[in-house]
Amino acid sequence: MPTFTYNDITFTVASSGDRWDLSYALPNGASALAGAGLFAGLAEAEATARALALVKTIFPVGIKSVGPDVAHPNTIGDLKIVGPDVTHPNFIYWNKDSVSCPKQL
Amino acid sequence: MDIKGSVALVTGGGNGIGEAVVKHLARQGAKVAVVDMAQKNIDRVVKDIKEMGGEAIGIQANVTSEADTARYIKGTVEAFGKLNIAVSCAGIIRDGTMLSLDKETGQVSKKLDLAKWQAVIDTNLTGTFLTMRDAAEAMVNGGWEGLLVPISSVNKAGQVGQLNYSSAKVADALMPKIIVGEFLMRGIRNIRCVAIAPGYTATPMLTGMNQDALKAILEDVHLGRLVAPEEIASLIGHCVENQALNATTIEITGGLCYPKGIAK
Ligand SMILES: NC(=O)c1ccc[n+]([C@@H]2O[C@H](COP(=O)([O-])OP(=O)(O)OC[C@H]3O[C@@H](n4cnc5c(N)ncnc54)[C@H](O)[C@@H]3O)[C@@H](O)[C@H]2O)c1
Repeated sequence: MPTFTYNDITFTVASSGDRWDLSYALPNGASALAGAGLFAGLAEAEATARALALVKTIFPVGIKSVGPDVAHPNTIGDLKIVGPDVTHPNFIYWNKDSVSCPKQL
Repeated sequence: MDIKGSVALVTGGGNGIGEAVVKHLARQGAKVAVVDMAQKNIDRVVKDIKEMGGEAIGIQANVTSEADTARYIKGTVEAFGKLNIAVSCAGIIRDGTMLSLDKETGQVSKKLDLAKWQAVIDTNLTGTFLTMRDAAEAMVNGGWEGLLVPISSVNKAGQVGQLNYSSAKVADALMPKIIVGEFLMRGIRNIRCVAIAPGYTATPMLTGMNQDALKAILEDVHLGRLVAPEEIASLIGHCVENQALNATTIEITGGLCYPKGIAK
C-alpha cells in the first residue's frame, strides 16, 4: 500500500479490486477519503503517480494569509467583531512542496 | 447526453439534494466529484459511492472562493479527464424580515443584518456564478458536451422573511436564459443550461426554517408532503438525457399553489 507525503499530509493509495482508493490522515489522527474507485486497471506505480498529480491539484501547497475580513464582521448587538476568517479569499497558491519553500528569517 | 460514462461535479454534494444528485448520477454510471465545505459529509458520501461500486472524488472547498472553484474544477478534470455536468447545490438560508418593529412604539427595533444578507448572496448567487462560469470554461476549452445546472428555488417568487434568499434564487433562475443566449451568440453549441427550482424538500436545510411557516406552506402543496431529494435528483438525470431541455428553469414542487400566486 504506497503512501506519500504532500503538503504535510500523508496520503495512502490502496487497491480495491482493479481500482484504487485514495485516503489521507487528518490532523486528529482520523482518515478521510479523497477518492474511491479511481484509476481502473492501472498498475500500482501508475496509480500512485496519478494520485500524486490529483493531490497536487486539490490540496495545493500554499501560504494562507488570513486577513481580518472587515466586510463581514460578526456582530453581537452593536459590537462588530472582525476576527480571522478561514474563508477569506486572500490565499496565495504556492506551486511547490512546502519543504522546498525558501525559508526567510 | 448519456449519464453512463459522463463526469459530474456537484457542489453541496455532501448533504440533502446535492447528496441525492451525486448518488443518482453515480448509480447511473457517472464519475462524480463531491464538493462541500463539510469534510465529514464528503467522507460519508464518497464511502457510500464506493460501496455502490462507483467512482468518486471528494473535494473540501468553499464555493464563494474563486481560488477554491478553480481548484475543484481542475481536480475533477485531473481525476476523470473531462467534465460534463456541473450542479450547483451548495446553498444556505439566513432568514429574517428586513425590519422588525417594537410592538409598543411601532418604531424599528432591528434591521436585517448585512452579514445575513451577504452570506446568502455570496453562497447562493456568487457561488453558483463561479461554478457555472468555471465549469463552462472547462467544457468550452475541453470541447466536451456539457450541462450546467444552477439550483434556484420556488421562493424565487418572493418569500417574506427571505429577502436575501429570494433575491439570490430569482437571479439563479435567470441564469439559463442569459448563459445559453450568450452561448448562442458566441457559437458555443456543446453546453446546455437548465436550472431547477425545487419546492419544499425534505432535507436538513428545512430544519433551519420557521417550522410554523413550513407547516402552513405544506397546506398549499397538492401532493400533501415535502418533495424527496431523490425526486429532484431523478429530474436532473432526465435533464442530462433530454437534449431538448435547455435555457429554462423547471419547478418541482409537488404542486405548490400559493394563494393568488403570491408567496406567503
Ligand atoms: N430543501 C429545500 O426545501 C430547498 C428548496 C428549494 C431550493 N433548495 C436549494 O437546494 C440547494 C440544496 O439545499 P439542501 O436543502 O440540500 O441543503 P443542505 O443544507 O441539506 O445541503 C447543502 C450543502 O451545501 C454545503 N454548503 C453550504 N455552503 C457551502 C459553501 N459555501 N461551499 C461549499 N459547500 C457549502 C453544506 O455543507 C451542505 O452539505 C440549495 O441551493 C437550496 O437553496 C432547497
